[in-house]
Amino acid sequence: MAKTITIYTTNTCAYCVMVKKWLKMKGLPYEEVNLEEHPERQAEMMELSGQMAVPVTVVADKATDSMNVTIGWNPSKLATAVASMTTAQVA
Amino acid sequence: MADEKLHDLVIIGAGPAALAAAVYTTREDIDTILVEKGVVGGLAAITDWVDNYPGFAKGVSGLDLAQQLEAQAERFGADIRLGEVIALHDEGKHKRLETSDGDLLAKAVLIATGTDYKKLGIPGEDTYYGRGVHYCATCDGAFYRDKRLVVVGGGNSAVQEALFLTKFASHIDMLVRSEVKASEVLVHDLEKNSKITVHLGVTTDEIVGENNKVVKVVGTSDGKQVEFPTDGVFVFIGLKPNTQFLRSTPAIKLDEFGFITSDNDLMTTMPGVFVAGDVRSHSTMQIASAVGEGATAALKIREYLEAHARSA
Repeated sequence: MAKTITIYTTNTCAYCVMVKKWLKMKGLPYEEVNLEEHPERQAEMMELSGQMAVPVTVVADKATDSMNVTIGWNPSKLATAVASMTTAQVA
Repeated sequence: MADEKLHDLVIIGAGPAALAAAVYTTREDIDTILVEKGVVGGLAAITDWVDNYPGFAKGVSGLDLAQQLEAQAERFGADIRLGEVIALHDEGKHKRLETSDGDLLAKAVLIATGTDYKKLGIPGEDTYYGRGVHYCATCDGAFYRDKRLVVVGGGNSAVQEALFLTKFASHIDMLVRSEVKASEVLVHDLEKNSKITVHLGVTTDEIVGENNKVVKVVGTSDGKQVEFPTDGVFVFIGLKPNTQFLRSTPAIKLDEFGFITSDNDLMTTMPGVFVAGDVRSHSTMQIASAVGEGATAALKIREYLEAHARSA
Protein backbone atom coordinates (compact mmCIF):
# COMPACT_ATOMS: atom_id res chain seq x y z
CA MET A 1 0.00 0.00 0.00
CA ALA A 2 3.02 2.27 -0.34
CA LYS A 3 2.15 4.06 -3.55
CA THR A 4 -0.95 5.52 -5.11
CA ILE A 5 -1.65 6.81 -8.60
CA THR A 6 -4.13 9.62 -9.20
CA ILE A 7 -5.10 10.92 -12.64
CA TYR A 8 -6.83 14.24 -13.13
CA THR A 9 -8.99 14.22 -16.26
CA THR A 10 -11.84 15.90 -18.12
CA ASN A 11 -14.74 14.27 -20.00
CA THR A 12 -13.51 14.59 -23.59
CA CYS A 13 -9.74 14.46 -23.12
CA ALA A 14 -8.22 11.89 -25.50
CA TYR A 15 -4.78 12.22 -23.88
CA CYS A 16 -6.39 11.22 -20.56
CA VAL A 17 -7.76 8.10 -22.27
CA MET A 18 -4.21 7.26 -23.35
CA VAL A 19 -2.81 7.59 -19.83
CA LYS A 20 -5.56 5.33 -18.45
CA LYS A 21 -4.99 2.84 -21.27
CA TRP A 22 -1.26 2.82 -20.55
CA LEU A 23 -1.74 2.24 -16.80
CA LYS A 24 -4.24 -0.54 -17.48
CA MET A 25 -1.75 -2.12 -19.89
CA LYS A 26 0.84 -2.06 -17.08
CA GLY A 27 -1.67 -3.52 -14.61
CA LEU A 28 -1.44 -0.49 -12.34
CA PRO A 29 -4.63 0.63 -10.54
CA TYR A 30 -5.38 4.33 -10.25
CA GLU A 31 -7.89 6.80 -8.88
CA GLU A 32 -9.43 9.07 -11.52
CA VAL A 33 -10.50 12.58 -10.57
CA ASN A 34 -12.75 13.96 -13.28
CA LEU A 35 -12.48 17.70 -12.87
CA GLU A 36 -15.73 18.39 -14.70
CA GLU A 37 -17.55 16.23 -12.16
CA HIS A 38 -15.44 17.59 -9.29
CA PRO A 39 -14.56 21.20 -10.14
CA GLU A 40 -13.85 21.78 -6.45
CA ARG A 41 -10.64 19.76 -6.96
CA GLN A 42 -9.24 21.92 -9.78
CA ALA A 43 -7.24 23.99 -7.29
CA GLU A 44 -5.73 20.78 -5.91
CA MET A 45 -4.47 19.82 -9.40
CA MET A 46 -3.21 23.35 -9.97
CA GLU A 47 -1.28 23.20 -6.71
CA LEU A 48 0.22 19.81 -7.51
CA SER A 49 1.19 20.52 -11.12
CA GLY A 50 1.55 24.31 -11.23
CA GLN A 51 -0.68 24.50 -14.28
CA MET A 52 -4.18 23.80 -15.52
CA ALA A 53 -4.09 21.32 -18.40
CA VAL A 54 -4.96 17.64 -18.27
CA PRO A 55 -4.05 14.87 -17.95
CA VAL A 56 -2.02 15.14 -14.78
CA THR A 57 -0.78 11.90 -13.22
CA VAL A 58 0.43 11.92 -9.64
CA VAL A 59 2.37 8.99 -8.24
CA ALA A 60 2.56 9.42 -4.48
CA ASP A 61 4.79 7.36 -2.23
CA LYS A 62 3.44 7.49 1.30
CA ALA A 63 6.43 5.64 2.72
CA THR A 64 8.90 8.32 1.64
CA ASP A 65 6.37 11.15 1.54
CA SER A 66 7.43 11.90 -2.04
CA MET A 67 5.48 12.63 -5.16
CA ASN A 68 6.06 12.41 -8.93
CA VAL A 69 3.86 14.58 -11.16
CA THR A 70 3.54 13.94 -14.91
CA ILE A 71 1.79 16.57 -17.01
CA GLY A 72 0.26 15.44 -20.30
CA TRP A 73 0.52 12.12 -22.11
CA ASN A 74 4.20 11.37 -21.75
CA PRO A 75 4.84 7.60 -21.68
CA SER A 76 8.57 7.83 -21.08
CA LYS A 77 8.06 10.10 -18.05
CA LEU A 78 5.25 7.89 -16.79
CA ALA A 79 7.49 4.86 -17.18
CA THR A 80 10.11 6.51 -14.99
CA ALA A 81 7.47 7.50 -12.42
CA VAL A 82 6.20 3.94 -12.02
CA ALA A 83 9.53 2.22 -12.74
CA SER A 84 9.97 0.75 -9.30
CA MET A 85 6.32 -0.15 -8.87
CA THR A 86 4.60 -3.46 -9.20
CA THR A 87 0.88 -4.05 -8.91
CA ALA A 88 1.50 -5.30 -5.38
CA GLN A 89 3.10 -2.01 -4.36
CA VAL A 90 0.20 0.09 -5.48
CA ALA A 91 -2.69 0.87 -3.21
CA MET B 1 8.09 -3.44 -28.01
CA ALA B 2 11.11 -4.91 -29.81
CA ASP B 3 10.97 -8.46 -31.08
CA GLU B 4 13.01 -10.66 -33.40
CA LYS B 5 10.17 -11.46 -35.76
CA LEU B 6 10.03 -10.21 -39.35
CA HIS B 7 6.54 -8.70 -39.49
CA ASP B 8 4.58 -8.35 -42.71
CA LEU B 9 3.69 -4.74 -41.97
CA VAL B 10 4.49 -2.08 -39.43
CA ILE B 11 2.25 0.96 -39.50
CA ILE B 12 3.72 4.09 -37.97
CA GLY B 13 0.84 5.94 -36.34
CA ALA B 14 -2.62 4.88 -35.17
CA GLY B 15 -4.90 7.59 -36.50
CA PRO B 16 -7.81 7.05 -38.91
CA ALA B 17 -5.63 6.23 -41.95
CA ALA B 18 -3.54 3.76 -39.95
CA LEU B 19 -6.51 2.08 -38.27
CA ALA B 20 -8.43 1.78 -41.55
CA ALA B 21 -5.39 0.18 -43.19
CA ALA B 22 -5.08 -2.19 -40.23
CA VAL B 23 -8.72 -3.27 -40.57
CA TYR B 24 -8.02 -4.27 -44.17
CA THR B 25 -4.63 -5.94 -43.62
CA THR B 26 -5.54 -7.87 -40.48
CA ARG B 27 -8.71 -9.18 -42.14
CA GLU B 28 -6.42 -10.70 -44.75
CA ASP B 29 -4.12 -12.24 -42.15
CA ILE B 30 -1.33 -9.81 -42.86
CA ASP B 31 0.61 -9.65 -39.61
CA THR B 32 0.26 -5.97 -38.66
CA ILE B 33 1.75 -3.89 -35.87
CA LEU B 34 0.89 -0.25 -35.26
CA VAL B 35 3.25 2.01 -33.32
CA GLU B 36 1.71 5.16 -31.87
CA LYS B 37 3.60 7.85 -29.96
CA GLY B 38 0.65 10.12 -29.30
CA VAL B 39 -3.06 9.45 -29.16
CA VAL B 40 -4.74 6.44 -30.76
CA GLY B 41 -7.15 8.08 -33.19
CA GLY B 42 -4.78 10.95 -33.93
CA LEU B 43 -6.08 14.49 -34.22
CA ALA B 44 -9.56 13.07 -34.82
CA ALA B 45 -9.56 11.88 -31.22
CA ILE B 46 -9.03 15.38 -29.87
CA THR B 47 -11.60 16.96 -32.17
CA ASP B 48 -14.78 17.90 -30.39
CA TRP B 49 -17.29 16.90 -33.02
CA VAL B 50 -17.10 15.35 -36.50
CA ASP B 51 -20.07 16.26 -38.65
CA ASN B 52 -18.84 15.23 -42.09
CA TYR B 53 -17.79 11.62 -41.64
CA PRO B 54 -20.15 9.49 -43.74
CA GLY B 55 -22.41 7.09 -41.90
CA PHE B 56 -23.13 9.21 -38.84
CA ALA B 57 -26.35 11.06 -39.61
CA LYS B 58 -26.19 13.15 -36.45
CA GLY B 59 -22.41 13.49 -36.37
CA VAL B 60 -20.08 11.81 -33.89
CA SER B 61 -17.62 12.97 -31.26
CA GLY B 62 -14.02 12.68 -32.43
CA LEU B 63 -13.12 10.56 -29.41
CA ASP B 64 -16.01 8.14 -30.02
CA LEU B 65 -15.08 7.80 -33.69
CA ALA B 66 -11.45 7.14 -32.79
CA GLN B 67 -12.41 4.52 -30.22
CA GLN B 68 -14.72 2.77 -32.69
CA LEU B 69 -11.95 2.67 -35.31
CA GLU B 70 -9.54 1.30 -32.72
CA ALA B 71 -11.98 -1.37 -31.54
CA GLN B 72 -12.69 -2.42 -35.12
CA ALA B 73 -8.99 -2.80 -35.96
CA GLU B 74 -8.33 -4.71 -32.73
CA ARG B 75 -11.29 -7.02 -33.41
CA PHE B 76 -9.40 -8.35 -36.42
CA GLY B 77 -6.11 -8.67 -34.55
CA ALA B 78 -4.30 -5.37 -35.02
CA ASP B 79 -1.49 -5.10 -32.48
CA ILE B 80 -1.30 -1.47 -31.31
CA ARG B 81 1.88 -0.66 -29.40
CA LEU B 82 2.60 2.61 -27.61
CA GLY B 83 6.00 4.00 -28.45
CA GLU B 84 7.92 6.19 -30.85
CA VAL B 85 9.63 5.35 -34.11
CA ILE B 86 12.94 7.20 -34.13
CA ALA B 87 14.35 6.17 -37.52
CA LEU B 88 13.57 4.00 -40.52
CA HIS B 89 16.21 2.04 -42.46
CA ASP B 90 16.00 0.12 -45.73
CA GLU B 91 18.08 -3.04 -45.31
CA GLY B 92 17.30 -4.68 -48.63
CA LYS B 93 14.80 -7.46 -48.01
CA HIS B 94 13.31 -5.78 -44.99
CA LYS B 95 12.98 -2.43 -43.25
CA ARG B 96 14.31 -1.84 -39.77
CA LEU B 97 12.49 0.58 -37.51
CA GLU B 98 14.34 2.00 -34.56
CA THR B 99 11.83 2.64 -31.81
CA SER B 100 11.93 4.00 -28.28
CA ASP B 101 11.74 0.38 -27.08
CA GLY B 102 14.07 -1.38 -29.50
CA ASP B 103 14.02 -2.40 -33.15
CA LEU B 104 11.22 -3.83 -35.29
CA LEU B 105 11.65 -5.55 -38.64
CA ALA B 106 9.05 -5.41 -41.40
CA LYS B 107 8.62 -6.42 -45.02
CA ALA B 108 6.55 -3.30 -45.64
CA VAL B 109 5.91 -0.08 -43.77
CA LEU B 110 3.01 2.32 -43.86
CA ILE B 111 3.66 5.84 -42.62
CA ALA B 112 0.43 7.33 -41.28
CA THR B 113 1.80 9.71 -38.67
CA GLY B 114 -0.55 12.56 -39.48
CA THR B 115 0.02 16.11 -38.39
CA ASP B 116 0.21 18.16 -35.24
CA TYR B 117 -0.86 21.69 -34.39
CA LYS B 118 1.70 24.41 -35.05
CA LYS B 119 2.81 26.78 -32.32
CA LEU B 120 2.80 30.54 -32.66
CA GLY B 121 6.42 30.99 -31.58
CA ILE B 122 5.72 34.27 -29.78
CA PRO B 123 6.77 35.58 -26.36
CA GLY B 124 4.67 34.16 -23.54
CA GLU B 125 3.52 31.08 -25.43
CA ASP B 126 5.89 28.61 -23.79
CA THR B 127 5.96 30.49 -20.47
CA TYR B 128 2.21 30.15 -20.00
CA TYR B 129 1.69 26.73 -21.59
CA GLY B 130 -0.87 24.95 -19.42
CA ARG B 131 -1.39 28.10 -17.37
CA GLY B 132 -3.49 29.95 -19.91
CA VAL B 133 -2.08 28.72 -23.22
CA HIS B 134 -3.60 25.53 -24.65
CA TYR B 135 -3.75 23.50 -27.86
CA CYS B 136 -6.50 21.01 -26.94
CA ALA B 137 -9.97 22.48 -26.46
CA THR B 138 -11.58 19.14 -25.68
CA CYS B 139 -9.02 18.58 -22.90
CA ASP B 140 -8.83 21.96 -21.22
CA GLY B 141 -11.87 23.96 -22.33
CA ALA B 142 -13.80 22.95 -19.21
CA PHE B 143 -11.43 25.01 -17.04
CA TYR B 144 -12.77 28.22 -18.61
CA ARG B 145 -16.38 28.14 -17.51
CA ASP B 146 -17.72 31.72 -17.58
CA LYS B 147 -14.27 33.09 -18.50
CA ARG B 148 -13.04 35.14 -21.45
CA LEU B 149 -10.93 33.39 -24.06
CA VAL B 150 -8.89 34.19 -27.13
CA VAL B 151 -8.77 31.68 -29.98
CA VAL B 152 -5.98 32.21 -32.51
CA GLY B 153 -6.55 30.97 -36.06
CA GLY B 154 -9.15 31.09 -38.79
CA GLY B 155 -9.24 27.64 -40.38
CA ASN B 156 -11.62 24.73 -39.86
CA SER B 157 -9.97 23.62 -36.60
CA ALA B 158 -9.98 27.10 -35.11
CA VAL B 159 -13.66 27.67 -35.90
CA GLN B 160 -14.71 24.17 -34.81
CA GLU B 161 -12.88 24.42 -31.51
CA ALA B 162 -13.99 28.01 -30.85
CA LEU B 163 -17.58 26.86 -31.25
CA PHE B 164 -16.90 24.02 -28.81
CA LEU B 165 -15.37 26.43 -26.31
CA THR B 166 -18.56 28.53 -26.25
CA LYS B 167 -20.03 25.69 -24.15
CA PHE B 168 -17.87 27.02 -21.34
CA ALA B 169 -16.57 30.52 -22.06
CA SER B 170 -18.55 33.72 -21.53
CA HIS B 171 -16.94 35.35 -24.58
CA ILE B 172 -14.33 34.49 -27.20
CA ASP B 173 -12.20 36.89 -29.23
CA MET B 174 -11.08 35.06 -32.36
CA LEU B 175 -7.89 36.52 -33.83
CA VAL B 176 -7.48 35.79 -37.54
CA ARG B 177 -4.35 36.92 -39.37
CA SER B 178 -6.03 37.30 -42.76
CA GLU B 179 -9.53 35.90 -43.29
CA VAL B 180 -11.60 32.95 -42.07
CA LYS B 181 -10.88 29.93 -44.24
CA ALA B 182 -13.35 27.37 -42.93
CA SER B 183 -16.17 25.36 -44.47
CA GLU B 184 -19.42 27.19 -45.18
CA VAL B 185 -21.28 25.23 -42.53
CA LEU B 186 -18.77 26.24 -39.86
CA VAL B 187 -18.73 29.86 -41.04
CA HIS B 188 -22.52 29.92 -40.80
CA ASP B 189 -22.40 28.56 -37.24
CA LEU B 190 -19.69 31.07 -36.39
CA GLU B 191 -21.70 34.01 -37.70
CA LYS B 192 -24.76 33.14 -35.67
CA ASN B 193 -22.86 32.52 -32.44
CA SER B 194 -23.16 35.65 -30.31
CA LYS B 195 -20.38 34.61 -27.93
CA ILE B 196 -17.64 34.87 -30.57
CA THR B 197 -16.23 38.12 -31.95
CA VAL B 198 -14.05 37.61 -35.02
CA HIS B 199 -11.18 40.04 -35.54
CA LEU B 200 -9.79 39.86 -39.08
CA GLY B 201 -6.36 41.12 -40.10
CA VAL B 202 -4.93 40.79 -36.60
CA THR B 203 -1.52 39.29 -35.92
CA THR B 204 -0.88 37.72 -32.53
CA ASP B 205 2.37 39.09 -31.14
CA GLU B 206 2.59 38.33 -27.44
CA ILE B 207 0.80 36.54 -24.63
CA VAL B 208 1.09 38.55 -21.43
CA GLY B 209 0.61 37.27 -17.91
CA GLU B 210 0.57 38.56 -14.37
CA ASN B 211 0.88 36.56 -11.15
CA ASN B 212 1.47 33.36 -13.12
CA LYS B 213 -1.72 33.71 -15.18
CA VAL B 214 -2.49 34.94 -18.68
CA VAL B 215 -4.20 38.33 -18.63
CA LYS B 216 -4.10 39.56 -22.22
CA VAL B 217 -3.00 38.96 -25.79
CA VAL B 218 -1.22 41.73 -27.64
CA GLY B 219 -1.52 41.93 -31.42
CA THR B 220 -1.27 44.28 -34.36
CA SER B 221 -4.08 45.53 -36.56
CA ASP B 222 -3.63 48.13 -39.33
CA GLY B 223 -0.17 48.84 -37.98
CA LYS B 224 -1.48 49.66 -34.51
CA GLN B 225 -1.09 47.69 -31.30
CA VAL B 226 -4.29 46.06 -30.08
CA GLU B 227 -4.94 44.25 -26.80
CA PHE B 228 -7.43 41.57 -25.87
CA PRO B 229 -7.96 40.95 -22.14
CA THR B 230 -8.40 37.21 -21.56
CA ASP B 231 -8.17 34.36 -19.10
CA GLY B 232 -6.79 31.91 -21.63
CA VAL B 233 -5.61 31.38 -25.19
CA PHE B 234 -6.29 28.41 -27.46
CA VAL B 235 -4.07 28.15 -30.55
CA PHE B 236 -5.14 26.50 -33.83
CA ILE B 237 -3.04 28.05 -36.57
CA GLY B 238 -2.43 25.16 -38.91
CA LEU B 239 -0.80 21.80 -39.08
CA LYS B 240 2.74 20.51 -39.42
CA PRO B 241 3.58 17.02 -40.68
CA ASN B 242 4.92 14.47 -38.23
CA THR B 243 8.00 13.52 -40.23
CA GLN B 244 10.78 14.32 -37.77
CA PHE B 245 11.76 10.65 -37.60
CA LEU B 246 12.70 10.79 -41.30
CA ARG B 247 15.48 13.33 -40.73
CA SER B 248 18.09 10.63 -41.28
CA THR B 249 16.20 8.92 -44.12
CA PRO B 250 16.87 11.02 -47.23
CA ALA B 251 15.67 8.16 -49.44
CA ILE B 252 12.11 9.21 -48.57
CA LYS B 253 11.38 12.41 -50.43
CA LEU B 254 9.45 15.18 -48.71
CA ASP B 255 7.81 18.14 -50.39
CA GLU B 256 8.75 21.76 -49.63
CA PHE B 257 6.48 21.77 -46.56
CA GLY B 258 7.80 18.50 -45.13
CA PHE B 259 4.92 16.24 -46.24
CA ILE B 260 5.77 12.85 -47.77
CA THR B 261 5.53 12.45 -51.54
CA SER B 262 4.10 9.29 -53.08
CA ASP B 263 3.25 7.67 -56.40
CA ASN B 264 -0.21 6.63 -57.56
CA ASP B 265 0.03 3.48 -55.40
CA LEU B 266 0.76 5.60 -52.30
CA MET B 267 4.31 4.24 -52.27
CA THR B 268 7.02 6.66 -51.15
CA THR B 269 10.38 7.00 -52.87
CA MET B 270 11.61 4.12 -50.69
CA PRO B 271 10.30 0.85 -52.17
CA GLY B 272 8.05 -1.00 -49.72
CA VAL B 273 7.30 2.10 -47.68
CA PHE B 274 3.83 3.55 -48.20
CA VAL B 275 2.13 6.69 -46.92
CA ALA B 276 -1.50 7.56 -46.18
CA GLY B 277 -3.51 10.29 -44.53
CA ASP B 278 -2.69 13.84 -43.53
CA VAL B 279 1.08 13.35 -43.62
CA ARG B 280 0.97 12.61 -47.37
CA SER B 281 1.78 15.47 -49.71
CA HIS B 282 -1.42 16.88 -51.27
CA SER B 283 -3.68 15.08 -48.80
CA THR B 284 -7.06 16.76 -48.37
CA MET B 285 -6.77 16.65 -44.55
CA GLN B 286 -10.15 15.02 -44.04
CA ILE B 287 -10.87 12.01 -41.82
CA ALA B 288 -12.94 10.43 -44.59
CA SER B 289 -10.15 10.72 -47.12
CA ALA B 290 -7.57 9.51 -44.60
CA VAL B 291 -9.65 6.39 -44.05
CA GLY B 292 -9.96 5.93 -47.83
CA GLU B 293 -6.24 6.33 -48.29
CA GLY B 294 -5.64 3.82 -45.51
CA ALA B 295 -7.79 1.26 -47.31
CA THR B 296 -6.07 1.95 -50.63
CA ALA B 297 -2.62 1.69 -49.06
CA ALA B 298 -3.59 -1.64 -47.46
CA LEU B 299 -4.57 -3.11 -50.84
CA LYS B 300 -1.39 -1.83 -52.47
CA ILE B 301 0.67 -3.23 -49.60
CA ARG B 302 -0.98 -6.61 -50.10
CA GLU B 303 0.10 -6.52 -53.76
CA TYR B 304 3.59 -5.49 -52.73
CA LEU B 305 3.84 -8.32 -50.17
CA GLU B 306 2.64 -10.87 -52.72
CA ALA B 307 5.30 -9.70 -55.19
CA HIS B 308 7.82 -9.69 -52.33
CA ALA B 309 6.94 -13.34 -51.50
CA ARG B 310 7.25 -14.40 -55.15
CA SER B 311 10.72 -12.89 -55.46
CA ALA B 312 11.96 -14.32 -52.15
